[in-house]
Amino acid sequence: MSEIQMYLTNTAGISSMASFWAFVISGGLRPNADFRKTLLKIATFVMAVGFIALTLAIVARGIEAQRFPLSNLWESLLWFAWATMGGYLYIARAYGIQQLGWLASLTAATMFLYGSWLPQSQHEIQPLVPALVSYWRQIHVPPLIISYAMFFLAGLAGFINLFFCGRYVSLACSALAVILACTAIQLGTHSKTDAHILQALFVGATVFGPLASFLTFRIYSARRMADEKSQKLAAVYDDVGNRCVAIGFPLLTIGIITGGLWANHAWGSYWSWDPKESMALVTWLGYAAYIHLRIQQNLSQEKLSVVLIIGLLLTLLTYLGFNSLGFGGLHSYGQFK
Amino acid sequence: MEPTIITKPNLEPELEIDPVAEKKAVRGGRKISPFASVQLSVFLMVLMAITVLLGAWCPQEGQVGQDKVFEAFNPEMAQWMIKLGISDIFHTPWFLALTAMMTLNMIVVSFQRVFPKIKTINEQLPFFGMREINRLPVHHLVSIADPDQKTAIMADLTSRLTRMGYKVEVEGHRLRAQSGKYGRLAASVTHVGLLSLLAGVSITSWTGFNGFKPVLMRESLDFKDASHAKLWVGKIPDWTARVQSTRRENYPSGEAKQWYSLLSVRDAKGKEITQGEISVNNPLSYDGVDIYQSSWGLDKLVVAFNGKERKFDLNSMGNRYAAMLPLTSDMILIMSLPTDGSEMRLFAKIPQVEQPRLLTTVAKGQTVDLGDVKFTFKEAIPITGLQYKCDPGLPVTYAAFFIIMAGVMLAAVPHRHVWASIENGGLYFGGASRKAKVGFEIALKDLAAKLGERK
Ligand code: HEM
Repeated sequence: MSEIQMYLTNTAGISSMASFWAFVISGGLRPNADFRKTLLKIATFVMAVGFIALTLAIVARGIEAQRFPLSNLWESLLWFAWATMGGYLYIARAYGIQQLGWLASLTAATMFLYGSWLPQSQHEIQPLVPALVSYWRQIHVPPLIISYAMFFLAGLAGFINLFFCGRYVSLACSALAVILACTAIQLGTHSKTDAHILQALFVGATVFGPLASFLTFRIYSARRMADEKSQKLAAVYDDVGNRCVAIGFPLLTIGIITGGLWANHAWGSYWSWDPKESMALVTWLGYAAYIHLRIQQNLSQEKLSVVLIIGLLLTLLTYLGFNSLGFGGLHSYGQFK
Repeated sequence: MEPTIITKPNLEPELEIDPVAEKKAVRGGRKISPFASVQLSVFLMVLMAITVLLGAWCPQEGQVGQDKVFEAFNPEMAQWMIKLGISDIFHTPWFLALTAMMTLNMIVVSFQRVFPKIKTINEQLPFFGMREINRLPVHHLVSIADPDQKTAIMADLTSRLTRMGYKVEVEGHRLRAQSGKYGRLAASVTHVGLLSLLAGVSITSWTGFNGFKPVLMRESLDFKDASHAKLWVGKIPDWTARVQSTRRENYPSGEAKQWYSLLSVRDAKGKEITQGEISVNNPLSYDGVDIYQSSWGLDKLVVAFNGKERKFDLNSMGNRYAAMLPLTSDMILIMSLPTDGSEMRLFAKIPQVEQPRLLTTVAKGQTVDLGDVKFTFKEAIPITGLQYKCDPGLPVTYAAFFIIMAGVMLAAVPHRHVWASIENGGLYFGGASRKAKVGFEIALKDLAAKLGERK
């Protein structure tokens, strides 16, 4: 990795961390304080600087490697962080909101941190294995990574919606599920814990967290529910989640289909039930279910938010959990143990 | 304070499903069949997702073999996986039944509820007056101080809406506009695509076949061992493809760069119809069958001892191939070849010594004296791994792929309506959007501010 690339990547990583703290601190201030407004502006600005630095870092890496810079886990994490930051900046502008900021920058910072713990070989520019030498790679992979980032933002919007709906207990259950799932992935990547235990942890969290969220809907803060401003914000975040899915779902569809076209071109079969393919299909079915639940229009927004959080967990499983929790298959470029 | 919304006008009945009406219709079993329920489809999607998830988690026998199932689990658990069909889940009756249910569900819903809406795409909603506008989910009032401004403000609103992508119509002091009406086709287009995909996959499954066969140079590929679905109405071709020649191209380091095979397609009587060279990623297509280059090796070695011909099997040893011949009880003759099969190295190996001893090298076609035998290196015969498939549904499948992609992209386009009316010294305007409501609210609020500024 060249110096300039490292410098740009570090700038992006530090920006995501700095904007996270700025968002958090501003959250603790009085809602109408002038200082709070300034701090929020600074947080967004720092995030934008990080986004630009990351854009340049990715371009620099592409130039240095003389190929499209998306071929291993580290590079895909950079793309994921890039899409999360860019997606947030777009939403914040379009909707004039900031409450998502700390979660989006936390997500980006976590991805940088996770990436920096990967073995050195992931950071170096290495020649491609023959299977990946194809122009199809740049058609197939970016839509997938960007769709994952959109689904993440949708899930985060789901959390904020739960907050403004006063469903604190449900929120805590789902948050715990996401934390446990991330722990499973972290242990799977950096320790030798038995894969079946980690799988059980991940799946258990995915099933029981949201289930507990559903069961605890009846516990809610009456004050929050009576507050008109919170209700309005809840509706906004419901819309944000839906919008992120509206962008992510076509991208996931395009990613899966172009993967099929690539496979057919390369070895004469567009679908082979490879585990990673199957996982992408599971995620796709999950969001298809969300879309139809929404059309049905008899599910409350907090329930739809929990569906978005289940979606986030599925996305996490497809994107990172899959390799680190010991599923197998063709798409093992993310494997390095 | 703006007037409160008393009743929500049903602006886009074509886009909404009334859950209560749906339940009634399903129970009553009248026009809409029980298979037309979206609840059922969500339920099926979830079941399907869980099924596919199990298939991603448990190694599948069809892809990696049963051994991997035992590698992944302890023996007892592996037995259960096999018994329950989880290790071959995509061929279980459960999976097929689920697919069939989803298909039925989708066909019924598509024809009963989704496709009929295409007809309403050009239907116009009427112009609205103040009262209707004030009942819209989003509405604003811009007061007009000077009555002469009426025409100007309407023109301003028209041009702003046009710039925002709306199709605007004005009739006197009233205006109606809509944008993204094609977004309403999303469901129809996507579902047509999904049904086409099922059609394409079914055509292939009923008439297609595929297989793999390693073929020695100068021998022929036939399709007798092709595999196909149980329910099958296709035909196995009677032509064959003879491997005229096949070779390997290397990188300077000795790694394989490419494999080539020259194929001659011959009819049942052996007459050549056509010829073509294939390589990895570059198949030969004839009569709806694609033949792919998928592996390569040197397979047989032909040598002669004192003119008496003998054949040996060659084994791959890193970047070389070798055959062994035990000479005496403790000596082995090793015949080693590079991948192009040009020059043979002959070694003798005795157990007491680690390194085999190089005896001599022999070029192809040459004879050397080995003590009292004349050893001739006649040739090394390559074998080429040929993958073939006949996929008659492929054009339909590909078309389906593009239709689905178009459909899901359309689903991101929000369909929006705006109405305006000048009454009582003010411009009343408002609208509705089913998707991206907040963005729509912000846009109209912006518009109100801009129109208000003009005075
Ligand atoms: C399994 C059977 C399925 C049934 C019964 C079903 C049913 C429906 C229904 C009733 C609608 C609403 C149509 C309207 O109001 O205009 C719809 C919309 C839609 N469906 Fe399906 N669907 C099924 C499967 C799928 C799948 C697998 C996908 C995957 C992409 C899909 C994609 C869509 C899309 C993109 C829309 C439009 C959504 C929107 O406009 O926001 N459907 N579906």
